Amino acid sequence: MADGPGNANSGGNQARQNPTTGPQPNVKSSPVQSLAEQKSTGQNPAEQNRAAQNPPMQNVLRGRTSVFVGLWPFAVGIILASLMYAILPGSVGPYYARIVMDIGIAMIMAVSLNIVNGMTGQFSIGHAGFMTLGAYAAGMMSYYGSLVMWDSPLKHGGMLGLGEWWFAVSCLFGGLVAACAGYVVGLPSLRLRGDYLAIVTLGFGEILRVILQQQSGSVITSGEALQSATWSQLFPLPIGGALGFSGIPKYTNLFWVYVFVTITVVIAYRLKQSSLGRAMISIREDEIAAQSMGVNVARQKVLAFVLAAFFAGVGGGLYAHESGVIVSPKDAGFQRSFDFVIMTVFGGRGSISGVMLAAVILTALPEVLRDFNQYRLIVYALLLIVMMLVRPQGLFGIREIWQFWPIRGTSLAKKEVP
Amino acid sequence: MTHAKQPSVVGGKIQPPNVHSLLTVDQLSISFGGLKAVQQFSLNMPPGALYGLIGPNGAGKTTVFNLLTGVYQPNSGQMRLADQNLLGRKPHEITAAGVARTFQNIRLFPGLSVLDNVRLAGQLRTPHGLLKTLLRTPRHQAQEEAIHDKAFELLGLFDLQDRAHEAADCLSYGHQRRLEIIRALATGPKVLLLDEPAAGMNSQEKRELAQSIRRIRDEFQVAILLIEHDMGLVMDICERITVLDHGIIISEGPPVIIQKDPKVIAAYLGEAPPPS
Repeated sequence: MADGPGNANSGGNQARQNPTTGPQPNVKSSPVQSLAEQKSTGQNPAEQNRAAQNPPMQNVLRGRTSVFVGLWPFAVGIILASLMYAILPGSVGPYYARIVMDIGIAMIMAVSLNIVNGMTGQFSIGHAGFMTLGAYAAGMMSYYGSLVMWDSPLKHGGMLGLGEWWFAVSCLFGGLVAACAGYVVGLPSLRLRGDYLAIVTLGFGEILRVILQQQSGSVITSGEALQSATWSQLFPLPIGGALGFSGIPKYTNLFWVYVFVTITVVIAYRLKQSSLGRAMISIREDEIAAQSMGVNVARQKVLAFVLAAFFAGVGGGLYAHESGVIVSPKDAGFQRSFDFVIMTVFGGRGSISGVMLAAVILTALPEVLRDFNQYRLIVYALLLIVMMLVRPQGLFGIREIWQFWPIRGTSLAKKEVP
Repeated sequence: MTHAKQPSVVGGKIQPPNVHSLLTVDQLSISFGGLKAVQQFSLNMPPGALYGLIGPNGAGKTTVFNLLTGVYQPNSGQMRLADQNLLGRKPHEITAAGVARTFQNIRLFPGLSVLDNVRLAGQLRTPHGLLKTLLRTPRHQAQEEAIHDKAFELLGLFDLQDRAHEAADCLSYGHQRRLEIIRALATGPKVLLLDEPAAGMNSQEKRELAQSIRRIRDEFQVAILLIEHDMGLVMDICERITVLDHGIIISEGPPVIIQKDPKVIAAYLGEAPPPS
């Protein structure tokens, strides 16, 4: 070790320490950096010197822009959602506007399921369970909240009025309730794999369906009745049992749907690009290797379930407040779960844009085929069979749509621009 | 900066081995049903040591690695890294404590890029909270940048920089083996466990591997425990060797002694016929 480069250059290391790391503790850097010093000649000067040439001032500016960068996708999403709300119903008519809204909800469901199924590789087929739980929780909060506050379960206030905000909060509450359920359902995933986990998640949906059927108290329709209600009227919960929970105010519109779509997609994408998402994907790729590389597999799996369930719950909240929808226990069943699973399989596991496209196609297709009502399920099934034969990895595999752009070539995305 | 290689004799008194010991393993045993896979396995590795672990097929070498990394929990015994107890801890905690490994049959993350494989390993000491990730705070971005830069540097040291953005399963076999070692190093280990790194390599590649193992030991200042079937390589680079057979240590010592140990020869070649 007479030639130990670590000692000879240690002073230099300090000087050219990456200024972007800031307060970040410099873990085990000296051998790595000193070796880099040795080999830096002609290896990749741009990469090597970038850090050294960044003056501190630039660093400060970069911090500011990062705050901006952190929020701009949400701003763009809100603007787009407002435009859709303002333009679409008038230009294409309420029928197509409604389909666009359904597509938005399907996107939320598929993208959130993709966090569990696609990124973390845990096969869950109980996603409609989380959705329905969120739908009931959000529905109860907005319906009974409206009864208490405004003495009427009808819509209160106009666009962005008090009623709409209460509805948005209700959706988030639905998400939280679903997230708690996601935590509970995520726990078995620590011990079970593949088919066995799928059966547990399937069981969750079915159990929830039965429990909701038991909540057979009839829906209370006036504020006075609510205040004078006895315990026996409140338990079982007054959500209509097998008949479904009718009367939920119909707040859902294009604006709110696409605001929540934006939040879901941006968060899913950021997750995918970050250390957290990388840890999730590593579990999908090889669980044993992942834990050997320091990934807390238990935490990541449960986190994936909680996040996915949260957004499913929000999606459920939006669904419950759609006009013409009566939330009923059978929504939690297997069939609807499978619709979302098909979307993630169709889009490609882990590909957010692929799954979004699949949500568009698979939501629009049944509507397009409505004239051939008898045949649409056949077409649907054929499409999937062809897909599995031709492109079993899904539309985009694990990549995003823009990674197929010719400029980027076929290699995986270059360094992500923050 | 010399490495304490063996329990040294100072003033005629043999120092107890665990004074300088980094990895201390004492009487580790595990059985699967009736099979006693590893019994009473003990090992003391000082910092910067380069030790070997050999034995015939099925002797329990990889089981020892799985015990050391927490994949299996031993039935009895002790293991410590410096002053930290490793016993009963989960694999990711042991990795964080400073024990990294490679796998006998390569276990990269095939769908992730080469860079992401290294980044994943390099991120374990960086706290990444959910909220920071979702809001992309400047601090979070700086952390991600630091992880990226460190991974890139590490790839550069082993000449894999140019392949950084390829999927890991597109690499050649030799490069995949190399990437596995890089990935293990990215976790910032104090002890590196290499499980048959030379498997499937030709003699030229083996010579290069021997050099780079020495280089890694010196420049990253890690202790290395090596499982290997290639006797030439093991005898060449290891300071001490432990020989396992049927889960029991049958010999332990420097290569010259191991080579002449009749028990080792018997384990590999069978008992010598009785003189008739």
